[in-house]
Amino acid sequence: MRAFGRVGVGGLLIAVPLALALVGPWFVPDTLTRGAPFMPDHLLGTDFVGRDVWHQVLAGGRTVVLVALLATVGAYVVGVPWGVLAAMSRLRLVDEVLMRPLDLLLAVPSLLVLILVASIAGQGVLVLVGIVTLVNFPDVARISRAAALEIAGRPALEAMRLQRESWWRTSIVYTGRSMFRTVAADLGVRLTGALYLVASASFLGVGVPPDAADWAVMVDRNRGGLFLQPWAVVVPAVLIVALSIGLNLVFDRALRARSEVRP
Amino acid sequence: MSLSRYAAQRLAFGLVQVLAVVTVVFLLVQALPGDAAVALAGDNPDPRRIEEIRQAMGLDRPAPERFLGWLWGLAHLDFGVSLFSGRPVADFLADGLGPTAVLAVLTLVLLVPLSVLVGVLAALREGGVLDRVLTSISVGLHAIPEFALAVVLIALFGVRLRWLPPTAVGTGGDLLAHPAVLVLPLVVLLARPICSISRLVRAGMIDALASDHVRHVRRLGISTGRIRFAHALPNALAPAVQQVARTTDWLLGGVIVVEAVFVIPGLGTGLVDAVASRDLPVVQGLAVVFAVTTVLVNLLADLAAFRLAPRSAGIA
Repeated sequence: MRAFGRVGVGGLLIAVPLALALVGPWFVPDTLTRGAPFMPDHLLGTDFVGRDVWHQVLAGGRTVVLVALLATVGAYVVGVPWGVLAAMSRLRLVDEVLMRPLDLLLAVPSLLVLILVASIAGQGVLVLVGIVTLVNFPDVARISRAAALEIAGRPALEAMRLQRESWWRTSIVYTGRSMFRTVAADLGVRLTGALYLVASASFLGVGVPPDAADWAVMVDRNRGGLFLQPWAVVVPAVLIVALSIGLNLVFDRALRARSEVRP
Repeated sequence: MSLSRYAAQRLAFGLVQVLAVVTVVFLLVQALPGDAAVALAGDNPDPRRIEEIRQAMGLDRPAPERFLGWLWGLAHLDFGVSLFSGRPVADFLADGLGPTAVLAVLTLVLLVPLSVLVGVLAALREGGVLDRVLTSISVGLHAIPEFALAVVLIALFGVRLRWLPPTAVGTGGDLLAHPAVLVLPLVVLLARPICSISRLVRAGMIDALASDHVRHVRRLGISTGRIRFAHALPNALAPAVQQVARTTDWLLGGVIVVEAVFVIPGLGTGLVDAVASRDLPVVQGLAVVFAVTTVLVNLLADLAAFRLAPRSAGIA
């Protein structure tokens, strides 16, 4: 019962922002309402250029959620083969060439990398996906490499090799299946990390147009009217906070439930 | 491997890291869109004027030559001159360093005792209500975007309840003279690292309390307080101390965001402004300072970890 309550809270915290983000854009009317900035009319008032805040909230979640999801997928698509390649290569040189540059990338604050790269690469959703992937994949590569190395040393794999199992079955099927759990256990951290970077970057005005319908951009742009019309700032901020907390709670719960089943 | 040999090796790697980071920063900044000379020439760019500015700033020289010149300057702590105001970049650094250092140092000073306190409290009541509440909070706040948390806190304590000033506007960068201004920024900066470190302390403390040597000390009849704080806690701290250094990455990123939210005139604000206005020398200078700080702190942490537990750190 208590366990259910925990998932319930986390699930609810995710459900509201996620539903708004995914379904919301369909409910935004085509005709743009324009009024005076920071007025308390409409449902949640107007924003810094007089747009209806409620419509902006409906439209503004999609980019944040989509970019975070795509960037997480990207980090796995790049990072897992990268790490496995480094672990499985017979040449130490290949391992070094693949992994050393990542140490370098990990040595620089990720938000700094993001700000610098984004100011070069210009604006756009795909650019942001690419940069967050770039910042996130070294960790995935490291974890995959460690997992693959551990599996490569197992007696089971040696036995399979002695039985002349095909390369496909030993290296891909067996290793892949054994790695899956270790790498998947990390999914929650990656996803919340990506959400953090995407939202923070958008807030700093990196990689998004300054008048975009985006929760993080709304928080930044409407700050000037915090005393006049706080809803324009607080609603998008609370949605981001709820999504982040919800993801953390649900993934932590899932991890713990699994480790209880299989100690 | 001896400590001095490990230190030499790690120092060499740190130097390579710094050099590589400096090179990457230079290359990235070179690739920034928009020619600074064009931006400086104003709304009605006259080709002759652009050419003049370009020559005056040395943008007509080949990139490798500029890179070497810049490196040579860095080695002498000469970061170049701002493209727009003509002020030395070192002045920007000196101006912004105060507020940023106040934020970073106070966060680090508060971080350790607070996370130890939270972690120990949770560990002593393992499975109890207090433990579950503290654990839920620290799980939930992990990796929460600072700006969103900050804005919610500002709206609540700064605007609604009016207990604390919502921004640092009007302090002129002298944060220590206005302690009330510091409360919300510090809470926001501490939220993330406290969560991860207090969880490590909690796990370490629970392990330590169940360990053989603590059981032995208990049989000797030593008081509970002494057992907890003189025998169990030191063992629980080792992994937490390492994690403190690892959080500098978050802290530096967090400082950039927190300065932007609370309008604090520090290095982070300087960086965001400089990127927006394409002030290349300032961007380069600030980025190098941020990157080198991270490399240095990680280097120190690795050395400390090696000193504490040579076997586990020896791989790096």
